[in-house]
Amino acid sequence: MTEIDAMLARIAAGLDLDAETEHEVLCEIRDHLEAAADGARAAGLDEDAALARAAACFGLEEEVARELRAVHAGWGTADAVIAAGLPVACALVLRWLAFAPDGTALGWPQLLSRPAFWIVACAALLLPVLKFERRRYALAAWVVFWGLTVLFVALPAARW
Amino acid sequence: MSIREQMRKGTTNVILLNLLAEAGRPMYGYEIIQELEARSDGFFEFKQGLVYPRLHELEREGFLRAEWQGEEGSRRRKFYTITDEGRRRLEKELQGWQALTRDVNRLLGVETS
Repeated sequence: MTEIDAMLARIAAGLDLDAETEHEVLCEIRDHLEAAADGARAAGLDEDAALARAAACFGLEEEVARELRAVHAGWGTADAVIAAGLPVACALVLRWLAFAPDGTALGWPQLLSRPAFWIVACAALLLPVLKFERRRYALAAWVVFWGLTVLFVALPAARW
Repeated sequence: MSIREQMRKGTTNVILLNLLAEAGRPMYGYEIIQELEARSDGFFEFKQGLVYPRLHELEREGFLRAEWQGEEGSRRRKFYTITDEGRRRLEKELQGWQALTRDVNRLLGVETS
């Protein structure tokens, strides 16, 4: 393991971020450290001295990790909770709209004529893409939403 | 904490926005830091790693837009560009800074040209 790898490992230990964000943060810091070491080598320092200067100029890993964690904290978790909860909530509302109190289901033509259906469907489609920075969260929310909707509305066996 | 240190912490974001606005082109982290160090001529001593949380903060707030260049597996680099919202924020911050320095100078009895 190089000195840069060791520094990145110490920073990663203090980050506590979702995997994708952590990967991007570490990739950016690696680029910085490599560029700084390149600059020090170009100034005439040997390999060890160049890495040492790059590390010294960068600062304490714990302090940088703490500041990065503060900037990114909570976003990944909040996104995950909403990504999981929103499609389920919307699918349940649609299910409630699709079934009459006596348990008989509306057909798709009747369902599609209801404004409430379109309001809920649009919310389920638009909110994830507006809310989530990660498009994969929006895509996952849509997949879950449509999966549950088809299950709740189209399959008679799924009636509660 | 010294006044200089407090000023550095309080002004880093607006300095970053100003630098990227003046540059008028995308810049990556190390390049931004090198430019900051060259411009400050040693006035602001800062740990380079602490610039990244500020860049990420500005990106999250929509004042900067970031784009990765380079393929996965090779050397990838994240470039930052100031957004229109960032320019508006910079304008507001500069006005606030001018008002603050004017008021503090008046309180301290410092004459400015």
